[in-house]
Amino acid sequence: MRGSFLWRNRVLLTSGALLIISLHLISTGVHPGDLAARPESAFLEIVSPVDAAFTRLTEGASSIAKDYLDLLHVREENARLRIELARVKSDRARLAELEVENRHLGELLELKDVLGAKAVAANVIGSDATGLSRTLILASGSSDGLRAGMAVLANQGVVGKIIAISPHASRVLLIDDHNSALDGFDQRSRARGIVAGLVDDGLILKYADRSQDIRIGDTIVTSGLDGIFPRGLLVGTIKSVHRGGPGLFLGVRIDPAVDFGQLEQVLIVTQPPPHLDDAGKD
Amino acid sequence: MRLVLLFAAFTVLGLAFESAIPHLVSFHALIPNLIIILVVDLGLRHHGAAPAMLAFAMGYATDALAGSHPGLNAFMMTMVFIVSYEISTRLMVANAMVGAMVVFFGVIASALGTVALADGFSALSDTGSMLGGLTIEAGVSAIAAPFIFSMLAASKRMAGLPVRAKRE
Repeated sequence: MRGSFLWRNRVLLTSGALLIISLHLISTGVHPGDLAARPESAFLEIVSPVDAAFTRLTEGASSIAKDYLDLLHVREENARLRIELARVKSDRARLAELEVENRHLGELLELKDVLGAKAVAANVIGSDATGLSRTLILASGSSDGLRAGMAVLANQGVVGKIIAISPHASRVLLIDDHNSALDGFDQRSRARGIVAGLVDDGLILKYADRSQDIRIGDTIVTSGLDGIFPRGLLVGTIKSVHRGGPGLFLGVRIDPAVDFGQLEQVLIVTQPPPHLDDAGKD
Repeated sequence: MRLVLLFAAFTVLGLAFESAIPHLVSFHALIPNLIIILVVDLGLRHHGAAPAMLAFAMGYATDALAGSHPGLNAFMMTMVFIVSYEISTRLMVANAMVGAMVVFFGVIASALGTVALADGFSALSDTGSMLGGLTIEAGVSAIAAPFIFSMLAASKRMAGLPVRAKRE
């Protein structure tokens, strides 16, 4: 057995089979509910609590480091006062953090009321582990009523959509990821196009006809035609319009309305507003 | 089984670290790619079908937390494992320096491979702006690699696992 061809080449044969399985997964895609999605969902479920703990730990460590640096400047004060100061600072930072969180949630609540849709808020606990794609990890999952494909919003505008889900965590594909696309239009000229991300960072409006009147500073909003994002949500503003290149379409770059790096809480539309169903009649 | 449990624990911690730290460090390139370091250690020091499957599983676990095409990281980690394994079987020594070099090139190759597989080879022409950050990430990962290898070696000794590959 040990001298046989199969045994001698077991590593390469196993690796080859695994490469074929990987290519099959890439080419066919894994949809939520598939058998192949179960391990992915399980990994997400296992890693998300550790991820949340790491986030809390790193934020705590950062806060302690800042407090320590502050204390170096007040060496003449006695130990009791320093401890007291640290405690007061810690309490103040915690209260300030709660105030910010409260404000964010209040803004999300206002957005929910404006939308007239059923929605739930969720905390952001992580971002893309490799940095090659632009995704976020949320601390809410299917047990909170979330499903793959649901729209994710912030009070500034559109964030992305849910692409993977586990009972207590989910992953969001941001609109500036190079695999993301949503239907949008220029609010002033009504010119339509597909808002898509770029590999080298940034957001563009694809398939905007050369005859369209699109200008720098125009606002791009969702059309609702993709059946995911409610109509009229802010996507961003036009940063540049390139008319000189070859081809049928304009080269349009968009400045996203949402600062994706600063997101702490988001709103997930669990049931779109009734007028989303009518959007296709536009 | 002990090897699987050890690497599973390191993978969960590594992925949680890579996912949580970007909240503090806005420049993602400064965060080492811990999963590639683990896969390189597997390829250099553990020769068998189970380590190959473990590398695939680690890639698939990464797919759960990164990217939009499940299977991409699984493919790339299996490739990194094969290359590490081949290097290990051809070189007399597979020390931390060799491992760091494999990690450096592994980070760059897997990132470009991921873009090529997800968006087509033509998308590689748009990766010019990525290369600077990618090289820094590869460098940081290569610097971190010997420390991770020594942590793994210490953990393997505690678990009674072999630290070096058996010559075939």
